Amino acid sequence: MDDYAIGVLTNIGLFSFVALSAYVLLIAGEMSFGQQAFFGVGAYSGGILTAMYGLPLPLAALAAMMLGGLAALLVGLPTLRLRGLYFAMATLAAAEMARILFELLHFQREIGGELVGPDGTQGFRGIRWVFERGVEPLDYLLIVYAMLALVLALFLWVERSKLGATLRTLGEDPELAASLGLDVDRLKLGVTAAAGALAALGGVLYAHHNTYVEPRNFDIMLGVHSLAYALIGGLGTAFGPLLGVMADIGVLEASQVLSGYRMIAFGGLVAVLLIFRPRGLLDEQVVHWLKRRFS
Amino acid sequence: MLADLMQNTLDGLAAGASYALLAVGFTLIFGVLRRVNLSYGPAIMFGAYCATWTYLNFQAGLLVLGIITVAGAVLAGAYVERLCFAPHRQGSAIAAMVASFALWMQLEEAATLALPKHLYAFPALYEGAPLALGAFSLRIETLLLFAAAIAICTLLYWILYRSRFGLAVRAIIDSPAAAQLAGINVPWVFVRVFALASAIGGLAGYLIAASQEQVTPMLGMWSTLKGLLAMMLGGLGSLPGAVAGGLVLGLVEAHSQWFFGPQARDLIAYLLLFVLLALRPGWMTTRSAY
Repeated sequence: MDDYAIGVLTNIGLFSFVALSAYVLLIAGEMSFGQQAFFGVGAYSGGILTAMYGLPLPLAALAAMMLGGLAALLVGLPTLRLRGLYFAMATLAAAEMARILFELLHFQREIGGELVGPDGTQGFRGIRWVFERGVEPLDYLLIVYAMLALVLALFLWVERSKLGATLRTLGEDPELAASLGLDVDRLKLGVTAAAGALAALGGVLYAHHNTYVEPRNFDIMLGVHSLAYALIGGLGTAFGPLLGVMADIGVLEASQVLSGYRMIAFGGLVAVLLIFRPRGLLDEQVVHWLKRRFS
Repeated sequence: MLADLMQNTLDGLAAGASYALLAVGFTLIFGVLRRVNLSYGPAIMFGAYCATWTYLNFQAGLLVLGIITVAGAVLAGAYVERLCFAPHRQGSAIAAMVASFALWMQLEEAATLALPKHLYAFPALYEGAPLALGAFSLRIETLLLFAAAIAICTLLYWILYRSRFGLAVRAIIDSPAAAQLAGINVPWVFVRVFALASAIGGLAGYLIAASQEQVTPMLGMWSTLKGLLAMMLGGLGSLPGAVAGGLVLGLVEAHSQWFFGPQARDLIAYLLLFVLLALRPGWMTTRSAY
């Protein structure tokens, strides 16, 4: 594979994490405009831990996931009772606050004769843990997809378990879920934290792939894109968001057939697709049919 | 100090008037359709770009540019309504919103393909010096913006409370099903509300572009965010609330920028929205539309 193909595939893998993060919340009945913030928290905290304090990447990733989960709880607790557009706007406000805080964050240390660390709007350079260890792009691609495979396996396991059914009940009808004796608040907080941690994991991997991040990477565009990925791919299975990311980054950006007109083509395609499939390509019915067909 | 505070208040109200106009258009659509139109701002940007293109090629006058901005915004709005909102009328609100985001991408790319530079000059609404009122200065554009905002709100009030169309709109807001049963052509009212909201947005976009004397592709996202923010601050779905929300947003931004700088300005505006949503005072949740 050439470097370009590897780069595209790695990006598909990386953005799948945020798309999956938006998907979890959609399944539980909430629409978030703010998952990019936890992607950013993961990228910044993971980068700080490896580049400035010399922690190995796996440890930094774990810490970043915990921080992402905590940050999500911090947003989730005061917004627990909000629904629909109110929740979406609260998450948007929180995410934009996080982006501005990244812009205000100046925290640098001198390492090996140069300043390393977040430098406000100038961004955060030198997240080179992966690069310095001589990890080849192809190996990093495999690492990203191994993590993604783990996450997907977890998703598939949850979907088959009672928890999966519980979450879909919560998403369909929170009143019904509460009347069935489910602890709606605790479930929602759990989902919020898990989604935050998932986005943060993607963020750590993203920062170490690019070696450079800046606050603009985590603006509202990424948030709405992740929602769109989850929705066009389909809400029936965790493979849906992946399909959405692939359709955008993989087919349209990489093919370059429509260079210059990519957004016009993609935008029109998505709008028309949603008319016929408002819950995405792989929606619940398709997934159910596929399962019966192949089991 | 006091003079600065007064000046900031004036500037804040000026910005607030344009936010209020954006929020009014947003609220009209949300109140009737119960759907968020993320393409609202990009449609305005599209209109402003149509006008800029005409200006660059034909040096058209201000009046013509105003008409073209409004026409462009209404045209883009109609396209968005047909593709994103007409098909999802009974269905999913999320699908409609994501579809409107997809068209946002289209409108933005179409505009930047036609005019690829990052920034274009837009003819000024008024060339003269600002009005001096003792220690304060007041831009004439600001006064025009205010006058336009008041005129539009008055006209809208008249439409909603004195015309048959307004009666139909209010009936649909109360209960779409009952309105349908009473013989109101609900889809047709939706279309007209969408056109009305887009026209108000287009006018707001024209006034904003002409008083800032420039257009950028960011105008789309900017209008959507400011409109949403002001609409939410004023309580979702109330027109007087949208006006109040716009003015409050303008005032908060002007003062926090003066005290803490430009980044803190946005931070404080979002913080205010977040805290209000978390606390949910009564006026933010009562759905007394209009």
